[in-house]
Amino acid sequence: MTIAATPATPATTTATTATTTTASTTGVTRVVLADDSALFRVALVELLEGNGCRVVAQAGDAERLLDAVERERPDLAVVDIRMPPTQHLEGLRAAVLLRRRHPVTGTLLLSQHLEVAHLDELVGRTARGVGYLLKDRVTGPDFLDAVRRVAAGGCAFDPEVVPLLAGGRGRRDELAELSPRERQVLGLMAQGRSNAAIADELHLTTRTVETHVRNIFVRLALPDETEHNRRVLAVLTYLRSA
Amino acid sequence: MRSGRDGAGGGELGLTRSRGWKSRPWAIAGSAGPGVPVLAVAGAVFGAVVLVLSDSGRDPNTTTALFSGLVGGLYLVTGLVTHLRRPGRLGLRMVTVGIAWFAEDLQISSDPGPHTAGMFLRSAASGCLVHLLLAFPDGRLRTRVERILTGVVYVIVGVLVPLGVPFYRSVTPNLLFVADLSRPQNTLFDGAQVVVAVAVVALLVRRWIVATPPARRVLAPVYGVGLVGSIAAILDSALAESGASSLNAVAHLATLGLPVAFLAGALRVRLGRTAVADLLLDLPRTPHADLRDLLARALGDPTLRIAYHHPDETGSPDSYVDGAGQPVTPGPYDAITPVRRDERVVAVFLHDPALRADRHVLHAVSAAAALELDNQRLAATVRAQLAEVRASRVRIVAAADEQRRRIERDLHDGAQQQLVTTALVLRLARDRLDPEGTDRELDALLRRAADGLEAGLTELRELARGIHPAVLTEAGLLPALRALAARSASPVRVVDGPALPPLAARVAATVYFVAAEAVTNAAKHARASAVHVHVRASGNRLLVTVADDGVGGADLSAGTGLLGLRDRVAALDGTLVVRSFPGAGTSVHADLPLEGP
Repeated sequence: MTIAATPATPATTTATTATTTTASTTGVTRVVLADDSALFRVALVELLEGNGCRVVAQAGDAERLLDAVERERPDLAVVDIRMPPTQHLEGLRAAVLLRRRHPVTGTLLLSQHLEVAHLDELVGRTARGVGYLLKDRVTGPDFLDAVRRVAAGGCAFDPEVVPLLAGGRGRRDELAELSPRERQVLGLMAQGRSNAAIADELHLTTRTVETHVRNIFVRLALPDETEHNRRVLAVLTYLRSA
Repeated sequence: MRSGRDGAGGGELGLTRSRGWKSRPWAIAGSAGPGVPVLAVAGAVFGAVVLVLSDSGRDPNTTTALFSGLVGGLYLVTGLVTHLRRPGRLGLRMVTVGIAWFAEDLQISSDPGPHTAGMFLRSAASGCLVHLLLAFPDGRLRTRVERILTGVVYVIVGVLVPLGVPFYRSVTPNLLFVADLSRPQNTLFDGAQVVVAVAVVALLVRRWIVATPPARRVLAPVYGVGLVGSIAAILDSALAESGASSLNAVAHLATLGLPVAFLAGALRVRLGRTAVADLLLDLPRTPHADLRDLLARALGDPTLRIAYHHPDETGSPDSYVDGAGQPVTPGPYDAITPVRRDERVVAVFLHDPALRADRHVLHAVSAAAALELDNQRLAATVRAQLAEVRASRVRIVAAADEQRRRIERDLHDGAQQQLVTTALVLRLARDRLDPEGTDRELDALLRRAADGLEAGLTELRELARGIHPAVLTEAGLLPALRALAARSASPVRVVDGPALPPLAARVAATVYFVAAEAVTNAAKHARASAVHVHVRASGNRLLVTVADDGVGGADLSAGTGLLGLRDRVAALDGTLVVRSFPGAGTSVHADLPLEGP
């Protein structure tokens, strides 16, 4: 198939089913990349294009990013949080705008440091097609998986997000009541992983993971959510609230 | 009289004063010389002689010998009193008028000898009176115009009038008579009299208009009597036919009253001196803030201001500050009198120039107030320096914050960005390695490099956060505190209060660093199981409390970073208090203005 003829790839059409890990296998993920460092972009383009993605546009600032997404309607926008002219939060503001204007395009925000305040602003009320990772993660093994998940309408949050959300809110004690395995599962759930992915990661059966998830929801008195994104959001909301 | 003044000066004032200033009034009095009393006595003898000599020629309808003697005598007496009560030349001027008054009467004599001699002096009193009027109240001519006018008058009465004597025919034989030019002379001198009178009146009116209240107080008696006398005399001559003798009497009384009015004006200046005595009594009881009012009362000048030389600009003598350290600019009409203590100028009075009419009072008041003013000068200096130090402390805090922010941004946008890119390139390199390849050693080396880079990035991130957390500027104080709590090794809970108002950057940063230091201390030393961070705004203050349930016994002075933070809080006009008892936990309270200084 040609890319021009199928602006919406199979990956995005299956997003609601949250079978995220298989999304990229069915087609090329079209990506717009925004970062003010040309050297970083070159390296990231090489990584992405070598792994089933096609970078259809690059932008050095927020304005060009918004133009490019408007023009290309990609599956995913990878956005650095700091961009010209102020090197402040231009990337975050642009990402929030993108999510509102183009809900079908996934938005993956990269930052040199993670902040709960920025996560809240980015995610809002739906965890669909959104990601927030430390910039360092581009070198790690899970980055491409996160790219595929977000492009497919899932979510991907940095492993550091869970302690950040839970810390300082008085949730530490309640989390301490969970078993170590349950805490692991909760952490992966908060990152946006599916039960299958969690099972894969922890070398467990999907059934075992489902049992852990049920136990966690009961122990923390979380609303019973079956739909994946809403389940992630419930976990994040729980961690965030005090 | 003389001993009385000596007593007042040496008695009350001498108790509190050094001797230096005392010579000054004496020096001024001495310049007029002890000759004034001698001159007055000689004038009285001369007057008696003149009255006897002129008695034969007097017209009973105009001036009697009694009236003439009274006027001349009054000038002599009041002049002498003025001289003895007030230093300066005013007394001399008045005695001179008295003698000249008698001299004028000499021409009335029907004896040709004295008459002819009197002809030379027949306008002497007018000249001396113009001099006295223009020189009142301090006995000195102050402006060029006054000096020129006085000089012209003296030339007329002392040169032109005597030159005209041989050409003047009078009833009593003129011994030096040569030719009769009486009529042109009369026309000339009448004209000159009108011109001089108009000029003198104009100068006096102008002086009254520009005079300030204390100056008018001194001028009032002379102006009042002079005005009444002038009006009566003018009306009298205008109504001469109807024979309004009461107007004539008023004019005569005014003439008699004028020397008394000069004395009264002079003594009004003199009255200020009793205020000095009151000042000495009140000074020790007066709060610092009321000192100016007290001095203003003693000097009779409500416009008085007290200023100090600017502590940091000793090179420019015209730069003054007030007691609060604020700059003071002298007005265009302000006179400036230095207040000295041991030859050092401790303050200056900015005052009405009229106070210079009696420098004695000014000197006495400034001498009496010198010690108190010196104290206030020192206090003003300290306050000015303190204000500068506080301002510079705030600037240092702001500069340090700005520097930290810049370093943090440079780390993120520079070094960290470079390292991330390098790590990414390294990953690309590792991906190219044949997974089935045999070069496992190369793969291991590359992995070690990647791990090192990752650890370096993590450290760099923590370093940047410690220098200045970006979230503080990006999202505000509460999110920054929550991030701090989340990353703390011990459980920290940030207690949510009502939303904080917008905070100045230096205030938010200060509170953040206080909380960060307290949380770190709690984790490191207190073995606390719970730490609470509570931030709230109350009125225009921001209060932050960090409390733990640890072992307590913390000491602010025991080398913790809190000591430096106390200085930082103080720089923003706040306070930092640490309460810590063994076994009862530690709490750190900072309280600072929302706006910052």
